[in-house]
Amino acid sequence: MTRSFSGETVLAGIDLRVDRGETWGLVGPAASGKSVMLKTLCGLLPPDAGAVVVDGEDIAAATEERLMLVRARFGMLFQNNALFDFMTVGDNVAFPLVRRGGVEPKEIRARVSARLRAVGLAGTEDKFPSELSGGMRKRVGIARAVIARPDIVIYDEPTAGLDPVTTQKVYDLLARERDATGATVVVVSSDLDALLRFVPRVGMIYQGKLRYDGPAKKARDADDPVVRQFVRGDIEGPL
Amino acid sequence: MTEALRKLGERALALVEEAGGIALLALKVIGALVPPRLLRVGAAGLRLVAPSREVRNPPRVPPLSGRELLRNLDKMGVSSLPIVALTAFFTGGIMVIQSGIFVKRFGAQGLLGWGSGYAVFREVGPILIGLMFSGRVGSNNAAELGTMTVTEQIDGLRALAIEPVRYLIVPRVLAMVISMFCLLIVGDLVAVGGGMLFGKLLLGVEFSSFYYSLRDNLRPWDFLVGVIKASVFGLAISLTSCHFGTAVKGGAVGVGRAVNDAVVAAALAILISDYLLTLVLR
Repeated sequence: MTRSFSGETVLAGIDLRVDRGETWGLVGPAASGKSVMLKTLCGLLPPDAGAVVVDGEDIAAATEERLMLVRARFGMLFQNNALFDFMTVGDNVAFPLVRRGGVEPKEIRARVSARLRAVGLAGTEDKFPSELSGGMRKRVGIARAVIARPDIVIYDEPTAGLDPVTTQKVYDLLARERDATGATVVVVSSDLDALLRFVPRVGMIYQGKLRYDGPAKKARDADDPVVRQFVRGDIEGPL
Repeated sequence: MTEALRKLGERALALVEEAGGIALLALKVIGALVPPRLLRVGAAGLRLVAPSREVRNPPRVPPLSGRELLRNLDKMGVSSLPIVALTAFFTGGIMVIQSGIFVKRFGAQGLLGWGSGYAVFREVGPILIGLMFSGRVGSNNAAELGTMTVTEQIDGLRALAIEPVRYLIVPRVLAMVISMFCLLIVGDLVAVGGGMLFGKLLLGVEFSSFYYSLRDNLRPWDFLVGVIKASVFGLAISLTSCHFGTAVKGGAVGVGRAVNDAVVAAALAILISDYLLTLVLR
């Protein structure tokens, strides 16, 4: 797929396959198109050319009505969490279940409490997002992304701005969720060490191209000097 | 000269683009207001002529959020009541002061209620309350939606398979139209009260004289014209503020620009639609 903004190419012919139940990580320098790629994957941004196929259906060519149905299978954590600031934490987490319907209010309340307990935020249902710290908001975002048990979960920078301990807690949480649901997971993160421990397979995007897509453990020794320098964090190199 | 023409052309194009965006939003709002039951009937009919997958299995359309509507009615309508009442009270007073010159000159105390009521009901009331509502509610709405846009909350809704127009915009449009409708009625009553009080204090016109002048000379239509105008102004304010709020680009600077554009566009829309409605609703 390709995607440009105001004449500037952000995704220049990305070719990628993520299998059902797989966990795939994406890394790359700032403003390299990671978030654009995630939004394209879940149909929030249409590609200029190419296809985005989810379970055999090309969502790039789908109508908005079909896209709604496909998106209902996704859970997404945004870089800025995208919590609705006019709602309480409880309402935010419950939101996907409430709007999709079919679940009793009592059941929704129980599931919200369980999700919040799982992310270490028991008893925060009545608080507003503005009353929480950055790490807590991030965990609320994770709870909201997974409460409807989506088939595919996308995490955009799940640990941005968090301290190392909280970062590890968040990744433990993501691992527990993944193991419990068997969902397909795509993660973008700038925290390379934690990400490489979490994902078995990782890709690196640079100048609109996927420069690496392979085992996370071998990324440090990749043939491509750009990938090697980025993953190792070397100052000297082509970057 | 060429540069000036080029800039003029650019501004004209930008204006047409914004007007098109507002018109498109209006169409989306109308589309979202079509009851789901009607959609199902339509889909059943279409099944016979266009058996595509979307038509065979129409997506479930969630109902409009009553909770959002109530929240916005409270935030936009109920909270605006004090400032609208204050505006209306002094508007009634201003009308009396303006009429006072002629009332004194011609000894026309018996026409004071009619004169000030006619001006307030048909023209000054809807316009002043509309501009006040735009400044208070329209700007707030544009800022809120703009912030939601730049902090990815709108994308967050779409990612949760929720149509932002149906969930966020329609309740706001309905709330602003209903609020303007109700505020105008309250505002008219308060303005008449203000007119009576100032008439008595400044010109010595009795309450009863003011009241009978109003009752005997004004038609219900004069009052209705104002109510219709206020509802149209509410629609104009809601569409402009929602359009500029959701079309924000950039961060805080973009939100500031959107608020500015929304208020200016709403004021223009109020004055232009007032001119057209005055021509039609004589």
